[in-house]
Amino acid sequence: MPARASTRRSRHYGVHRHPVRKSLPYLLPAGLLYAVFLLYPMVASVGLSFQKWTGFRTAEPEFVGLDNYVRLFTSDPVFFRAALNSVVWVVLSLAVPMVLSFLLALALNRQMVGRNLFRSVIYIPAVFASITVAAMWKWIYNPQFGLVNQTLRSIGLGSWAQQWLGDPKIAFFSIFVASIWQGVGFNMVLFLAGLQQVPQELVEAATIDGAGTWQRLIAVTLPALRPTVVVVIILTIISSLKVFDLVMGMTTGGPAQSSQVLALWSYQQSFSSHAFGMGGAVATVLLIISLALVVPYLVWALRGEEEN
Amino acid sequence: MSGESSRIRRRRKVDYPTLGLWIALFVTCLLWAVPFLMMFLTSVKSKADITHLSTWDLPTQWLWGNYAEAITRGNLPVTGLNSLIICVIKVPLGLLLAALAAFALARLRYRHTKLVLGLFVVGSMVPVQVALGPLFSIMLETGLLNSIWGLILPYLAFGIPYQIFMLYGFFRAIPAELEESACLDGATTFGQFWHVCLPLAKPALAALLILDVVGTWNEYAMATTLLQSQSNWTIPVAVQSFSGQHGTEYAQLNAFILMSALPVMVVYLLFQRYFVSGAFSGALKG
Repeated sequence: MPARASTRRSRHYGVHRHPVRKSLPYLLPAGLLYAVFLLYPMVASVGLSFQKWTGFRTAEPEFVGLDNYVRLFTSDPVFFRAALNSVVWVVLSLAVPMVLSFLLALALNRQMVGRNLFRSVIYIPAVFASITVAAMWKWIYNPQFGLVNQTLRSIGLGSWAQQWLGDPKIAFFSIFVASIWQGVGFNMVLFLAGLQQVPQELVEAATIDGAGTWQRLIAVTLPALRPTVVVVIILTIISSLKVFDLVMGMTTGGPAQSSQVLALWSYQQSFSSHAFGMGGAVATVLLIISLALVVPYLVWALRGEEEN
Repeated sequence: MSGESSRIRRRRKVDYPTLGLWIALFVTCLLWAVPFLMMFLTSVKSKADITHLSTWDLPTQWLWGNYAEAITRGNLPVTGLNSLIICVIKVPLGLLLAALAAFALARLRYRHTKLVLGLFVVGSMVPVQVALGPLFSIMLETGLLNSIWGLILPYLAFGIPYQIFMLYGFFRAIPAELEESACLDGATTFGQFWHVCLPLAKPALAALLILDVVGTWNEYAMATTLLQSQSNWTIPVAVQSFSGQHGTEYAQLNAFILMSALPVMVVYLLFQRYFVSGAFSGALKG
């Protein structure tokens, strides 16, 4: 979140002091790349959603109006499954890994033996590529030789052994467990960074006033952590909607499309089924959901900036 | 003597909650480390060991040769070099471009600055899959499909927004006096950027560097879409080499995964201290 920094400088860096001309050389390289390779493709995706195109160079895109959307909403059950899963993924991510990473950060913010080792062990999965994490967990979930089922069998819980990725009822959640393992470390680091911003004087003052651990947490730490919590929530929402590699690597959306998510469904429509128009329509829905969840935060954060 | 030791024992007794917490953390970390232990054990087993022994058994024969086979099968000299070239070009260039833009937005302000910032930042919220279809056709038309530059350009575009957002907060927080004194010393605008703002943003740049190295090294969705011939694959795309029609080569696969994460792990461990301390502080200062 941009700093709501001191207003002292606004006198000097206020409106009109620096003409656009002066800032252009600094903005232009980043701006051009951004416009050509992000903004334009994003808008073009919306354009594609009104067309029919196979993606081959020889084929001409054909304008079909709202056909793709009509198909999406009336005769594509996978789309609903994918949209639902994407939303469920966001909600679950906000509930489970976020709370877990917050608790870990609270615990690992204290002085203790092995603190750095603990932090590193929790964080290290985050430096692995998601696609390799997917491959790794596919092996862990292997019905015969995988870690989970073998461990269950060896401690006498063989009846709990499952087709973790083969059962439509649980495949989605099995993937989610892998994402918890991978994602908790990064959020923990953000929370740890935020905890260092909590004014120690306030904590000490509260202690002297006789506040217990719990009261200090509620009255001092949590309010001071608010900006961090907002950032973590936003980053969690964004990364949840982007989930792709894990699903692609573990189930490719299956079995029976039960673990399908919007990002992957859009990709498969375009690149596996050669229906770039349908892919564009799914992408547009994903775009609208992303913007709807995140733009309010953006407006709030930028308005919080001092008004020059 | 005995008095002192009993005092120590008494002091320890008070710390039961901390001890409980420590044990809980220890168990959590053990749980977190289990997949790595298992990966390692799998990576040195023979095919027969994998199917006949329990996951937890040590291999009957430690097959370090699996690593050599994984290097060949994953074509690591080529895919690793591709990943490295992309990282070495993309990460510093992207950070520089983002820093320049963030500097302009934070320090050379005009009426629509916030709008421009907002426009940039929206990009950091967009899942890459939203743009993949058109990106594919842009690269097809410009002949950049299946080339390293065809990947670096969108990587730059998708990395820039978040970095601008973070650096903007940092640059905004720099006291104007510092720049003014630089101005009096005759520094140009670029001098202010290069000699005043950039050095002050070092902690943020270090953190963004780690994030970007990890993110670029590990990127899969764009790479698998835009790179087709095996000679251009990056490491994440090469993971698929280990599954074929005869099933998956688990030992080699796990060896490959462990090796592929080594470089980023080293980068992370080297820069770790920047990461927690003050890495995001500038941006998080509410």
